[in-house]
Amino acid sequence: MLSKVAKYSALIAIASTSLFATDFNIQAEKDRKALVKYMEAKFKDPVKNRSFFPYSTEDELKNTIKKGVKASELAKGSYGYDMKGREQYDDINELPPYEDAIDEGEALYKNNKALQKCFPKTDIAGDYPYFDDKKGEVITITQAINDCLVDAGQKKWNIKKGKMAKLEAYFAHKSKEAGKKVDIKINSKAAEEAYERGKKAYYSQRGYLKLSCATCHVQGAGKRVRAEYMSPLLGHTTHFPVYRLKWNSLGTLERRIEGCNKDEGENPHKGSSKWAKEVLYFMSYMSNGMTIDGPDIRK
Amino acid sequence: MKNINKILLTTLLAGSTIVYADLLGEAAKLDVKKVCDVKANGLDKVIAIAAKYNPEAVKLGIEFKRLGVTNSNYIKTTAAAIKDKKKEVVLQYKKKGKVKSQKMATDYAASRACHFAIRALQQKIEAEKTWRMSVPGDGFKY
Repeated sequence: MLSKVAKYSALIAIASTSLFATDFNIQAEKDRKALVKYMEAKFKDPVKNRSFFPYSTEDELKNTIKKGVKASELAKGSYGYDMKGREQYDDINELPPYEDAIDEGEALYKNNKALQKCFPKTDIAGDYPYFDDKKGEVITITQAINDCLVDAGQKKWNIKKGKMAKLEAYFAHKSKEAGKKVDIKINSKAAEEAYERGKKAYYSQRGYLKLSCATCHVQGAGKRVRAEYMSPLLGHTTHFPVYRLKWNSLGTLERRIEGCNKDEGENPHKGSSKWAKEVLYFMSYMSNGMTIDGPDIRK
Repeated sequence: MKNINKILLTTLLAGSTIVYADLLGEAAKLDVKKVCDVKANGLDKVIAIAAKYNPEAVKLGIEFKRLGVTNSNYIKTTAAAIKDKKKEVVLQYKKKGKVKSQKMATDYAASRACHFAIRALQQKIEAEKTWRMSVPGDGFKY
């Protein structure tokens, strides 16, 4: 009798926990699905849907922007729809400039016992950022690596490039190899609030140019700025760290987000700030279910 | 003693909230073109307005920065130029580890600093009302 009571109590506890777990991401799921619907509608037929691309020529819409793009293809960023850009991307990827970085990242991992202890599995790129309820904050993979180093009495790494980008490249590579997907969880009220703050920050206009992140990467995705097509929010976090031709080196998401924030005309928030981490939490959730595709190259 | 500390802390917090709300509220009501007009108000008054509102923008993490120059830098350098009665401001900033500089008329720099300080706060208030308008599945219609 007692064992039955214990079994039922355990079952009820598990059921209620999973119920609550899904509860906290209801709005986030709605947001993600709405974003997928919008992106697929936008790229269904660019010639017919030219209101999405008011400044593009007929020729451009026919010959440069891909028709019928599915959300999953956006794991490649703008190369999911920019056909000419995709040709150049494929050419560069024949001899990827980030290959050495993956090997160096592997060496950094294998020569550091603390890192091996903190991260026994290496295919973890899609599991970050997560919300740590005990600490009450979003933990990015960058922060987790630095926390691990500091706890082991080692020095922190630069969060934008160098060793950090190399180790993250190794983790991303292993995740891609294992076919891992972005898997961000919102398991508590506090996590939900962090997600909502990140979302609000992403969609709020800021800086002297009065741009929001969404201006370029939601409404602006697929629009051309000079010779480049702007990339979509959907899939943004799947391919980092990236080797940017502009940087001539590998950089982390933190490096990119600081750059974007600066481009809006604002004194940028640090990549390790609460603001940046919550924006990354929101962005990563939007890519949930998409395949990890990093490290990669970008212009 | 503990109670006194609590009362003091509560008063301080309440006070700072009022100041914070007041500055945002005040900024929202300002006509930027009018208050930042150097010809009408004079250089001293315009840069004083910038210096009054910009720290709030810094606190809120919304300070403007243009071509490597933060608004705090605009204000500091312009105020020094006004004090020294210089007609030109030389703004120094760092780019990729190198020190670079920009020159502009003191009038213009003061007006820009004032615009930037107030607009950052006004934009913050505007964004509270407008951000949902760009969210697919929420206020954004297509």
